[in-house]
Amino acid sequence: MEQETAEELYLSFAGIFQRPRPDIARHLEELIDLWAQEIPSSEKVIGELRDFCRAFPAGEARENALWGEYIPLFETGHVEAPPYASVYLDGEGLVLGREAEEVRNFYLSSGYGLGSEQGELPDHLGVELEFLALLAGTGSWDAAQSFRQKHLLPFLRVILPKIRATERPVYSQAAELLTSWQLGQC
Amino acid sequence: MQRRQFLKGALYGTGGTLVALSGLGAATTALNPRRVAAAVPVSRKTVYSSCEMCRNQCPIAVKVENGKVVKIDGNPNDSAFGGVICARGNSGPSLLYDPERIKKPMIRTGERGSGKFKEVSWDEAYTYIAQKLKAVQEQYGGEAVAQTSHIGPYDAFFQTIGKAIGSPNLFSHEATCPMARIIGLNTTFGTAAINADYANTKYLLVVGRNFFEGIHVAQTRAVAKALSQGTKMVVLDPRFSVLAAKGEWLPIKGTTDLAFMMALANVLIDEKLYDEEFIKQYTVGFDKWAAQVKDKTPAWAAKETGISQDTIIRVARELAQAKPHSLIEYGWRTTFTADDFQLRRAIMIVNMMLGNFEVPGGYYQVKDAGSLKKVPAMAAYAKKLGPIKAPSFPKPKKGRIDGTGEKGTPRQLTPIADGAVGQITETILTGKPYPIKAWLVHRFNPVMSIGDTEKTLAAIKRLDLLVTCDLYMSDTAYYSDVVLPECTYLERTEQVFDMSGLTPKYVLRQQAVDPVYPDTKPAWQIYKELGEKMGYGQYFPYKDIDDYVERQLAPTGISRKVFAKKGLWTPAGMKPFYVRSSDAKASLTLLATKSKKIEIFSDAVQEATGDGVPVYVQYPQPGEGEFRLIEGKVAVHTNVGTHNVPVLHELMPENTLWINAKSAAKLGLKTGDAIVISAGKYEHKGTANVTEGIRPDTVFCYHGFGQISPQLTRAFGKGINDNKLIPDQLGLVGNSITSMTFVKVRKA
Ligand code: SF4
Repeated sequence: MEQETAEELYLSFAGIFQRPRPDIARHLEELIDLWAQEIPSSEKVIGELRDFCRAFPAGEARENALWGEYIPLFETGHVEAPPYASVYLDGEGLVLGREAEEVRNFYLSSGYGLGSEQGELPDHLGVELEFLALLAGTGSWDAAQSFRQKHLLPFLRVILPKIRATERPVYSQAAELLTSWQLGQC
Repeated sequence: MQRRQFLKGALYGTGGTLVALSGLGAATTALNPRRVAAAVPVSRKTVYSSCEMCRNQCPIAVKVENGKVVKIDGNPNDSAFGGVICARGNSGPSLLYDPERIKKPMIRTGERGSGKFKEVSWDEAYTYIAQKLKAVQEQYGGEAVAQTSHIGPYDAFFQTIGKAIGSPNLFSHEATCPMARIIGLNTTFGTAAINADYANTKYLLVVGRNFFEGIHVAQTRAVAKALSQGTKMVVLDPRFSVLAAKGEWLPIKGTTDLAFMMALANVLIDEKLYDEEFIKQYTVGFDKWAAQVKDKTPAWAAKETGISQDTIIRVARELAQAKPHSLIEYGWRTTFTADDFQLRRAIMIVNMMLGNFEVPGGYYQVKDAGSLKKVPAMAAYAKKLGPIKAPSFPKPKKGRIDGTGEKGTPRQLTPIADGAVGQITETILTGKPYPIKAWLVHRFNPVMSIGDTEKTLAAIKRLDLLVTCDLYMSDTAYYSDVVLPECTYLERTEQVFDMSGLTPKYVLRQQAVDPVYPDTKPAWQIYKELGEKMGYGQYFPYKDIDDYVERQLAPTGISRKVFAKKGLWTPAGMKPFYVRSSDAKASLTLLATKSKKIEIFSDAVQEATGDGVPVYVQYPQPGEGEFRLIEGKVAVHTNVGTHNVPVLHELMPENTLWINAKSAAKLGLKTGDAIVISAGKYEHKGTANVTEGIRPDTVFCYHGFGQISPQLTRAFGKGINDNKLIPDQLGLVGNSITSMTFVKVRKA
C-alpha cells in the first residue's frame, strides 16, 4: 500500500474513533468513499454507512447522532468498549496502566508527545491510529511496523469485536472495515 | 488530493492529539512542558492529602510513581488515624483510573432520561447553564433555583452560585443523614461540635449505630481499642449488626429507643445513681425531665421495646457503675422517627446524668481555634483561619420552601445550612409554597437519596433545568440537562479544613496527580468560572485555590510547607485536654447555649414544638404479615456513591433482604430465593437472606444498591433499591424518616 494511502486510512479511522467533531461529521461521505475504494469490503457495510449519511445529513443532527452512539460506546457510564488499550491489556480494567505508559514512551522515542488541547490518554484507539498516520506520513515504516505489532494489533484484536458487537451505526461498520484492513478478516 | 488535505487539516496541527517533539511529522504545536515532564519517568513521591471516598476526609499518604497513584495509605503523621484507612479509602486508584468516569461536560440531546448527550466545551456548558438560570430568575425569581450537595469543601464555591442568585433554597444531604443528632446537640449544648472519647470509655451503649460497617476510621479504631481493653458494649439494634456481634445484642423494637432512654433515666433517678452534682452545676431543666420520666418505668419500657425489665435495670446500673467513663453513643444515621431529634436529646441528657462531659471516656467539646480562645490558658494555641472577604450576597426575597428558620414551628430548629432536602421534590410537583424550576446538584444523588425514587423522577421531569456535577453518570446525572465532570480528590487541591478534636487540627487536600481526564475540573474552578460567566465574579475574589489557601493561612502564621511535609497542622506542644479531667467542678466556659448551661429543658425546643424536654411518642408497629424495613451501611460502600467503583463493586456487587428464620419459614422462603418486597405503592424484586440475626418483625437491606442509571454499568439494577420503597416522609425538623416503612414479602 502506498505511503499516502496508508496515511489517509490511518487518519480516517483516527478521525472516526476520536470524539465526534464537526469537521469529521461533515466529511463523513468522503471517508466512506476512501474506505470503499481502498478496503475490500462488503457492499452491505458501505451501504449501511451511506444510509446513515442519508438519514442524518451533515449538520447538528448528524453530530448529535454520532454523540448518541459514541458516548455509551466509548465515553461515559455504560461504556460498551472502553477505547483505552490499558483497560484490556493490563488485566485490571483500568486506564493509564503499563500499556499506556509503554505507548507514551513509544511516542516520545519517535519524537511525539501528547498535545494539551485534546486532553486524551496516550492509548486511546484514535490516538494510536493517529500516531501510525504520522509515522506513515513520514515514511517511518520500521517504527510503524514495530508499533503496530507490539501495541495496535493486540489492542484491535480485543476492541474491534466489541465495537462490532454493539451494532452501533457508523462505529460498528468502521470497526468492521478496520478489522478487514488491519486484521485481514471480516 | 482534496480528501487528503481535509484529513490532514482536521487531524494534524492544532486539531491533532499528538504533537511533534523535535520537528518530526507535520505537527505545529509545541509540546506542553507539563506533559513532557509527566511523560518522562520521574522518581517516587508521597503526597499528603485527604480521602474523599466518604465524607470523613481521613488524612492520607498518596504514593505516586511516575505520575501515577500506586497506593494510598493513612497519613502516619496523624495519631488519631494511626496510618490506617478503610477499604474504600484503599480503592482510590480504582476510581481514579476507571474508564467509566465522566470525562467532559455534556448537554442532553434526547428526552430526559433517554441517556442521550453530546460533549461540549466548558464554555458552552457554562453559557448554557447561565442562560437557563437567567431565564428562570427572570420568570420566577432567584428563589426558584434550588441547590443540593452532599456536604463538603466544595460548598464554599457551589453554594456561592445560589447565594449570588438570591436563592434561599440551599440544601445539604444532612436531613437524609445525621441532622437529628446535630439538632439534638445544638439545642442541648448550643453547638454540634461535641465528640465522644470512645477509646477511653469503660462502658458503651450504642443505639443503632454500626461502627464496624458505617466506618469512620478514627472512631472505629477508638471503639476497637476500647473493646480490646475490656470495655463492655451493649448494642440496641433490631438487627444483629457486625458491631452487635462484638458486644451484647439487644434486639429492640423499631422506633422505641426513646422509651429505653427514658427508662434508663427513670432507674438512675429512682435508685439515685445519677451524678447529682453535675446536674446541679451544669444543667437546667432537670426537674422537668425527671417529671417526664417518672412513669417511664422499666416495666413500661419492656412492653414498648421488647427488652426485658431486668435487662433495662441492669444496663442502667452498669452505666452508673462505670460513670463518668461510660457513654451512650449519640448516633450517626438517618432518622428512625418524626421526632428523632428528641431521642438524640434524650441520649445526651442521660449521658449528662452520668456526668460524662469533658472527662476521658465521655463526651467533650471540640477544641477548635474558635472555642480555645475562651480558655485563657489555651488561647495561645488558637489560630483562626483567615476569612475570604467578598461582598455580601443579595437578601433572598422569599423564605425557604421548607420553612427552615420559621419561628414558632419545629423548623426553627433546622440548621439553615442543611434544610429539609426531601421537601424539594414535593415543592417541584405541587408548586407550593412557590415553584422551583431549576435544580443544581453537586456530588449528591437525589434520585437514590430522597425517599421515593419515582416521585423524584416525576419531579425532575417538571424542571426547566437540572445540572449535576459528579464523577460518574449517577442516577441523577443520567436525568440531567447538563452534566459536569469533577476531577477526583486525588487530582485536586482544596481549601484548608478544620478537623479539630481534643486539640486544633487543620488538614489540606493536596493534588497528587494531574487529572487523568484532562477536561475534568475541581469544584472551586467550575463554580468560579460559572459564576464569572454569570456576572458574579465579585463573589469569587481569589485567583485560584492556592491564593485561597494563602488567604486562609495568612493570619495564622502557619506555613503551607507544613502541609506539604506532614499533610496537617496541630499546635506544637499542646496536649489534648478535657476541661473536667483534673477538676470535676471546672467551669464549662466553652458552652454556647444562651443560659451557659447544658439545656435539658430547651426554651428553643419548647418554642418550636411545645416539648422543651423529650416526650415519648408511640409509633405504629408492623401488623400481621408485615415487616419494618430498615437499612444500613456496608463497610465497602459509601451511601450511593461507590457502588460502581470497580474494586468496591467486586467486593460487594449486590445486597439481599435479611429476614428472620421463623418469618421466612412462614413464607416458605430460604436463603437465595427470589422474592418480591411490596411497600404497597411500589414493589421491588430481591433475594432472601434467611438469618437468626434480625427481629421477626423486621427486614433489612444494605443501602445504595439497585441503581437505576443504565450508565452505571456495574451497579445498574443489581440488588434492592430501598429508596424506591421508602416514601419521601419528613419529620418535624425536616428529617427524612427511613425506619417507618412497612413491607410485605412474598416468593417471586
Ligand atoms: S472512612 Fe474510609 S472512605 Fe471515609 S474518608 Fe476515611 S479512609 Fe476514606
